[in-house]
Amino acid sequence: MTARPALVSYQGNYAGSVSRLAAYAIDLAVSTGVFSLGLAAVSYGVHVVTGHDVSWNRSNTIVAVLFVAWQFVYFGYSWAVSGRTFGMAGLGIRVVRADGLSLKPRQGVIRALVFPLSFLLLGLGFLGILVQREHRALHDLIAGSAVIYAWDARAARLRFLARQAEVAPADTPAARRPALGSHS
Amino acid sequence: MISAIRLWRDTGTVNPRDRLRPVSRRNPVEALAQQVTERVVDLLVNALDINELAARIDLNALLGRVDINTVLKNVDLNALLDQVDMNAVLARVDLEPVLDRVDVNDLVSRIDMDALVERTDLGAVIARSSGGMATEALDAVRSQAVGLDQFVDRWVQRLLRRKHPAPSAPRALLPARAEP
Repeated sequence: MTARPALVSYQGNYAGSVSRLAAYAIDLAVSTGVFSLGLAAVSYGVHVVTGHDVSWNRSNTIVAVLFVAWQFVYFGYSWAVSGRTFGMAGLGIRVVRADGLSLKPRQGVIRALVFPLSFLLLGLGFLGILVQREHRALHDLIAGSAVIYAWDARAARLRFLARQAEVAPADTPAARRPALGSHS
Repeated sequence: MISAIRLWRDTGTVNPRDRLRPVSRRNPVEALAQQVTERVVDLLVNALDINELAARIDLNALLGRVDINTVLKNVDLNALLDQVDMNAVLARVDLEPVLDRVDVNDLVSRIDMDALVERTDLGAVIARSSGGMATEALDAVRSQAVGLDQFVDRWVQRLLRRKHPAPSAPRALLPARAEP
């Protein structure tokens, strides 16, 4: 055992742009997929009950309204209940209050409602993730929220080392390779 | 001196004067000489100031002549320890103040977890308890994402020419993370 600097854990740090973008991409794919499955289920139900085929078109106003409403529900509910969506859980990030405490349900709903604003301003609302000191987008500033890493890089590094120790015997070059989560 | 003689008597150790007594029983002159000697010795000892005598002794010089290694070699530590009741000793120790003075956080921060996992079976335990392809994939994806986050952030900070580093975490999460 030797004295060395404390290992870095990213838990609690402000999340960066790539993690947030990747999480949003996953969420968009999942929410769109679930919405499509829902429409398919409705079409099947209508066909079984009435015998008529129902086809959905992207330009259909009802579909567009339903899709937007579904997006509000998907993101708003996730943020209000747990502070994270499916994609955010995958990337290990979480929405919290600006001071770091757990997000209030009301703030989660507000964040979902103002989220489109960041798009509507030609995407400039997202610029805050890059340039703002706390990586907060426009919808974060309005809702009083911030996004942080909620995964423990130290635990991930230990898991990596453990796998390495199982694969390669100790004190071999393979056992001393750079490990996951060792970014500085 | 008298008390020392009493001590010899009480403890059963050898009194140097005992060597003279068998002789004195055989020869009256020697017996007389012995009595005179004993009396002289008693008078001499009573006249001596033991404290002054002890003050004149250079204990450092005396101890300097003692070969501690030789003394220690002659000590049978095993026999000594056999006589010590460790349970009784430990029962007397109040561990609470000792533990209060130990900084556990500092102690833990000194542990090289990487080396610990690599060199012990702890790694296998962790791998079996938290392993799995999904966990491994998630760790890899998250780690890569964090690396890219930091890469982008570094360039943005460079372009904006910021001199002061931005806060790394919200206020409420900073104290908890500052602890080792």
